[in-house]
Amino acid sequence: MSDLAANPALERRASGRGLLIAGAALVAVAGALVPFWTTGAPFLLMLASQAVIAAILALSLDLLTGNTGLLSFGHAAWFGFGAYVAGLLAKLVTPEMLIVVPTTVIAACLVAAVTGAVLVRQIGKTFAILTLALSQIMFALVFVASDITGGEDGLQGVPVMTVLGQPVVQAQTWYWLLYGVLLAALAASLHIRRSPLGRAWLSIRENAERARFIGIDVNGLKLLAFVMSAGLGALAGALLALFNGAASPDLLSWFESGKILMFVVLGGVGTLVGPVLGGIVFTFAEHYVSSLTSAWLIYFGGLFILIVIVAPGGIFGVLGHAWRRMQGQGR
Amino acid sequence: MILKVEGLSKSFGGLKAVNDARFAVAEASIHSIIGPNGAGKTTLFNLITGAIPPDSGTATFDNVDITRWTPDRLARAGLARTFQRTSIFKELPVDENVALAIRAREGISRAVWQSRGDAQMVAAEARDILARVGLDSRANAKAGDLAHGFQRALDIAIGLALKPRLILMDEPLAGMSRGDRETVASLITMLRDTLGLTVVVVEHDVGMVMRLSDRITVMQHGAVIADAPPDEIRDNAAVRSAYLHGSFAA
Repeated sequence: MSDLAANPALERRASGRGLLIAGAALVAVAGALVPFWTTGAPFLLMLASQAVIAAILALSLDLLTGNTGLLSFGHAAWFGFGAYVAGLLAKLVTPEMLIVVPTTVIAACLVAAVTGAVLVRQIGKTFAILTLALSQIMFALVFVASDITGGEDGLQGVPVMTVLGQPVVQAQTWYWLLYGVLLAALAASLHIRRSPLGRAWLSIRENAERARFIGIDVNGLKLLAFVMSAGLGALAGALLALFNGAASPDLLSWFESGKILMFVVLGGVGTLVGPVLGGIVFTFAEHYVSSLTSAWLIYFGGLFILIVIVAPGGIFGVLGHAWRRMQGQGR
Repeated sequence: MILKVEGLSKSFGGLKAVNDARFAVAEASIHSIIGPNGAGKTTLFNLITGAIPPDSGTATFDNVDITRWTPDRLARAGLARTFQRTSIFKELPVDENVALAIRAREGISRAVWQSRGDAQMVAAEARDILARVGLDSRANAKAGDLAHGFQRALDIAIGLALKPRLILMDEPLAGMSRGDRETVASLITMLRDTLGLTVVVVEHDVGMVMRLSDRITVMQHGAVIADAPPDEIRDNAAVRSAYLHGSFAA
């Protein structure tokens, strides 16, 4: 402490950090209170739940793209995979969430480990195109196996999920469950970012060749990021299928993959918190703008271009900039 | 002899980029590889460091055959390299650049949990290494913000963090101002004299090579045409004719 007191700049930074943590805690608590604000508006709570799922999904892509620089055009593959596998497990085996969700995530990780072993050896465009191809294969599989997946009609009649045998029917309970998963996933991701593993990932994003020559297992660590990203993406899909009681092939479409990428870019690639905000903002904006005009995609396309050019750091970049300016004025 | 190159060859299409190269490097020495443009120096370098596989021949490091080893395996075995263009992690802080290499060496790059003791050990060692190359005062700066010569020093510091026994440098003086070249040259001498490292240098600056090296291998058209201490190289007729059109003033 004496060190801090002796250095006013450090002291200010420390108090700024405290303020930031307090602010983040406040936002987190406010998020948990959403069910109380929306008591008279069940639809709004449902939308908020969807937004939370989108946030988990966006975070899962940032684990890959933000950490290692690998750009995926087919991340919906894991979202849809999770939704279908969880939906089918719930329908055919058991609606017990504590069995369905971990099984789904493990299955996604296994598939990702096998496909990723080939994919992560590619870089840049090749990797992006191959991920797109992978998602299209999964999309096609839904139609090939339409006897069990329901094909174009989607997977219907997923039973009400249970937790330790107790059915989860209340919208509030659902929201808190999803929100809890989001906070846990975000906390874990932020922790990993600061760990040796997170730093090693950043070194790969920065300069993969140099990383290899200092003895970092570049492909191994890329694969690890790919698998973790797929696992969390499948978790988001599983939750969505159980929440909606259905899964549709749209979840696997290239349009969905593009949307996930937009969440991440809108929020700020590589910032983890940014993509979470991006997923939430996008989901609400999509709902309200699409109810105003059928040309909403055009506006979103324009917004996307604007962000890439004007604010490449996304929402998080803009917020960070504003925060630093405020800090600067305090001096 | 810590490094032995025996009959290494590599062709690209019809071009024999490296043809039956052989030489040996003594421990704790500075050994330079020189030659006119296109002599095959960089290809030879890439063959030794595992960047590309040779067509034939072997490289042995400390009596272990390291031919076709991957770069990360070589790094763990104690053979480090620096690049012709400075290769650092520009967006990361200076000390993190070195810490990354320390953690890779210790095999804890995948760790998700790190004890406070470990973190402090890594940070302290990073400071030590940075002090050796004169960068300790810039430890918190963004690596990309350093001046060119300091970026090169950081590049070497990253190599040192691997505790290598042998460090291969691809044109460490390329694109440097005169002052920066002196800095890097004295750094290289320091590596040998105080750390007992073996340094293999591929270099264009013949003058500096003559001053620095304990032994010099000269290449032309992919083949070794001379391999001797600097004094003998200076008087070697084949070398003189190879450099007839070059700057062999030293």
